Amino acid sequence: MTATQAAPGSGVGRFLGQSVKRREDARLVTGHGRYLEDVLWPDAWHVAFLRSPVARGRISTLDVKAARALPGVRAVLTGADLDPLVKSWWQTAMGKDSPQPPRRLLAADDVRYAGEPIAMVLAESRYLAEDALELIDLDIETQPAIVSDHRGRWGAAKDGELVHPEYGSNVASTLPYPGMPDSNPALEEVLASAPHVVEETFHQHRYICVPMETRGIQARWDPARDLLEIVSSTQNVHEVRSTVSRLLGLSDVQVHARAEDVGGAFGLKCFVDSEELAVAAAAYSQQCAVAWIEDRNENLVAGGHSRTEDLTVSLATDADGKILGIKGHHVEDVGAFPTYGVGGNAGLAMMMLPGPYDVGQYFYSAEAVFSNTCGMTPYRGPFLMETVAREQLIDITAARLGIDPVEFRRRNMIRPDQLPFTTPTGLVLETITPIETLDQATEMIGYADFRKEQAAARAEGRILGIGIASYIEGSPAFGAAGAEQVTVRMDMAGQALVFMGSGSHGQSVETTMAQVVAEELGIDIDDVRIVQGDTISSPYGTGTAGSRTATTFGGAARIAGQKLKEKILQVAAVALEASPDDLEITDGVVSVKGTPGAAIGMEQIAAMAYAGHTMLPADMEPGLEAKHRIRNPPLMFSNACHAAIVEIDRDTGAVEIKRYVVSEDCGNMINPMVVEGQITGGVVQGIGGVFYEHFVYDGDGNPLTTTFLDYLLPTAADVPDIEIGHVITPSNTPGGFKPMGEGGAICSPPALINAVRDALAPFGGLPNVQPLTPEVVLDVIDGVPAV
Amino acid sequence: MKPAPFTYEAPTTLGEAVDVLGRYGDEAKVLAGGQSLVPVLALRLARFEALVDLNRVDELAYVREDDGAVVVGAMTRQATVEADPLVRRAVPVLAEATRLIGHFQIRNRGTLGGSIAHGDPAAEYPAVVTALDATVTVAGPSGTRQLAAADLYDGPMTTTLADDEILAAVSFPVWGPRSGFAVREMARREGDFATAGTVVGVTVADGRITRAAISLFGMGPVPLRARDAESHLVGAATAGLDLTAVGAAAVAGVDPPSDVHASGRYRTRVASRLVARALESALQEATA
Repeated sequence: MTATQAAPGSGVGRFLGQSVKRREDARLVTGHGRYLEDVLWPDAWHVAFLRSPVARGRISTLDVKAARALPGVRAVLTGADLDPLVKSWWQTAMGKDSPQPPRRLLAADDVRYAGEPIAMVLAESRYLAEDALELIDLDIETQPAIVSDHRGRWGAAKDGELVHPEYGSNVASTLPYPGMPDSNPALEEVLASAPHVVEETFHQHRYICVPMETRGIQARWDPARDLLEIVSSTQNVHEVRSTVSRLLGLSDVQVHARAEDVGGAFGLKCFVDSEELAVAAAAYSQQCAVAWIEDRNENLVAGGHSRTEDLTVSLATDADGKILGIKGHHVEDVGAFPTYGVGGNAGLAMMMLPGPYDVGQYFYSAEAVFSNTCGMTPYRGPFLMETVAREQLIDITAARLGIDPVEFRRRNMIRPDQLPFTTPTGLVLETITPIETLDQATEMIGYADFRKEQAAARAEGRILGIGIASYIEGSPAFGAAGAEQVTVRMDMAGQALVFMGSGSHGQSVETTMAQVVAEELGIDIDDVRIVQGDTISSPYGTGTAGSRTATTFGGAARIAGQKLKEKILQVAAVALEASPDDLEITDGVVSVKGTPGAAIGMEQIAAMAYAGHTMLPADMEPGLEAKHRIRNPPLMFSNACHAAIVEIDRDTGAVEIKRYVVSEDCGNMINPMVVEGQITGGVVQGIGGVFYEHFVYDGDGNPLTTTFLDYLLPTAADVPDIEIGHVITPSNTPGGFKPMGEGGAICSPPALINAVRDALAPFGGLPNVQPLTPEVVLDVIDGVPAV
Repeated sequence: MKPAPFTYEAPTTLGEAVDVLGRYGDEAKVLAGGQSLVPVLALRLARFEALVDLNRVDELAYVREDDGAVVVGAMTRQATVEADPLVRRAVPVLAEATRLIGHFQIRNRGTLGGSIAHGDPAAEYPAVVTALDATVTVAGPSGTRQLAAADLYDGPMTTTLADDEILAAVSFPVWGPRSGFAVREMARREGDFATAGTVVGVTVADGRITRAAISLFGMGPVPLRARDAESHLVGAATAGLDLTAVGAAAVAGVDPPSDVHASGRYRTRVASRLVARALESALQEATA
């Protein structure tokens, strides 16, 4: 079911706004995708890492002699071999002076999380490399690990034992940043005097990206060509190139990085982590080709973790439920070696906690702590704790005040007449529609009727609940990420190659960006091909991350397309002896408006633009190529409302999602099918996080969920139909597009948790525990205190 | 996740397979559908000098009726068991339990004998053979022998088969008329190993239960029989039977494991309720 409320001028054209079938699908669903493992160089040496079996300890013995002697093994490298090669190590987006934990390619003296790489074997095959691992003599004097317990409460000691002695503290970072006010006295007054103040601490457990294709890289140093060649499964080839060149002290022109098809990433492949850098360093030092494909066990244990945080929120209202102020305190566990900087997401969460509401006074503080666990990495909606906590607290507050949770939201949402609305954190919201999406979602799910159905079901002993959650999706496009370029080149035959600095890993970029360009140029979509993921052929860019493809690349593609169209018309005007203003392009043919006989095909125009340049005016540059580097605001916004109905099995605590509805406003949609696919995928990840996925450590920092037998992903059998409605309010960016790639994952956890909380209302409160396993739910029903 | 080196043997007859296995003794492992063994090898949680692959031993793939029992060859695919008309008619609970094993792709590859010989205490088939008092045919160097289900399991994923023996077939007794069966399990997701589960069979005559079998899976180191609960059922009138009490009796004294998915306490509560549900369904079938 799809409902659409479109504003006038919603940008629907021949291709734009159409659910064009994905051009990627024919190869991807028939097994013809080409992933890193499909293009491994035959001369590559295969890597297996020796990883720490314990969370913390001193390495007393590391003897690799027997492993080196195994036939088929080229080298066994340790920290002593590789770490001296490191010249500098930082992420472009963070800058070289940003604080971060002490980095090392391989642990040498001590280990700081279970799974940390200690040595790497280069062998003729991965099989042999793993055989060699067994011949390495490793002894570690175990030390007490600094970890939180498996329910996620924070155990990281502030003093005494340190995860990183060099850092001087287990506190990785704090908010407010130095120089910002460290309190809001006006908010304190509100909290002291408001008729109602509700405070709760919400927890989000550790769950992780797990893309179908794990991480992987192959690298080859060719001294004759003075070139380090890299193929990586990455979201951002330019970051791979630059991180590696900085690491090894090479220049950017000495490193060429590219990607093939990338089988998912979700944030895990934004940055470049120690294993990938170790492969590049090994290729450089050994002067050979080296390849590593992360296996699933490694991916789960050491592939970058996410979530793992608490957010305490105080919400003050007047007697009618009007929000007067919000205060948040956020505690994040960033593990030992977060992939970028110190790994915290509180900076964005701080900006977004007020969400789509007019909250009055506001203050936010945060603390990120290191632990002897796998480091944090971005995961779709990395800052989503703000929505997860706020939307739950709204339901709790509404219940205490005896106000319907939908009505409570409606009373506090930013109204159309308040736009543009400046939030307490200085964000300017111009085109959001929270009330419209709330109305659409509640209408689609039949909210009013459900309450009657629920009452009848309860009388029969059935347990039904409904949950609502709303949010603003903020897409960060800071620095270079807000200035992406698209180059459109039409060669002599009249088709278009489109060069972009994106790194598609499932976003349908080859389809949507071709739609944008084909629309502007007036040619067929099959005459457009997207080129991306290559540091030699793609414009400099920051890859695909942060839900920016439609707004930054789409906006740039639109303007580059317009520029090229102007040029095409100028050349055609020469041929047709007409004014460019009198020409139009239809299906690849330029004609004089009102005189269809006066026409010229794209191929002839292209031939004239290059080979016939002598016929062009002297001041006209030959050729058909246009580029545009866009300048976008640092944050762009969409909004949505999710609604879920669940039924709970009285005997087992199993939760069935009976309905799931999303109403969203991402402005003009390039491709509604792709929008809906993005939402659905995100919602499935939220379902996984709330009910199934949990990376568990024991109290000593030993990982317990190291295979898919224990780390449970939702499957198609566990996911309901996701019903999606659209409200279309164009943004002020070129094309009217808005960011929407992460919202499905951001808003689904609180919608689902709220639905379970609503269902369990007759049994008392839902503990702030995640995930909601059948046992957690059954304990509430049976009135058994949680373990 | 690459296995340590092993020798691969691919016999084509049962006799040849027994001979090959005998050459290696406890250094070899039999490979059936590979749905559990292959991941274990890839993770190097176990290693063997040789794998003896039964996938070319065609004589081990069959379903046939034999003297009041349904006999299923060890290499019969689970998908075949699930769809087999004889199984569905004569041992319906075996077909019903099969649907709960993994997903269809797994059942296309997984075998009946492989699952039973692997002996995962949270798997469905071991609980079915335990509940139905099936008999296992074991082939070894000195010929074949019959082994009662009650004597098959020694501990988690451990059978009483000798290192040089192969589980060749399983014989499921066909219960008489007015019998009913049910399998119920709680799994975190569709297709997962059970957090807790039960297989129940009853026969009813003149309003009274004349035969009862209850097995529990995911509840201990091996599939368990709830003998006390069964003995209370036999002779009891079906009318007014306290299903909840039977469920409670079935888990009394059981000490199920705790893991990342659920505590033992949860397993006990859920298994008790699943027994009640399964018994209700089995009684309905028996008295229909």
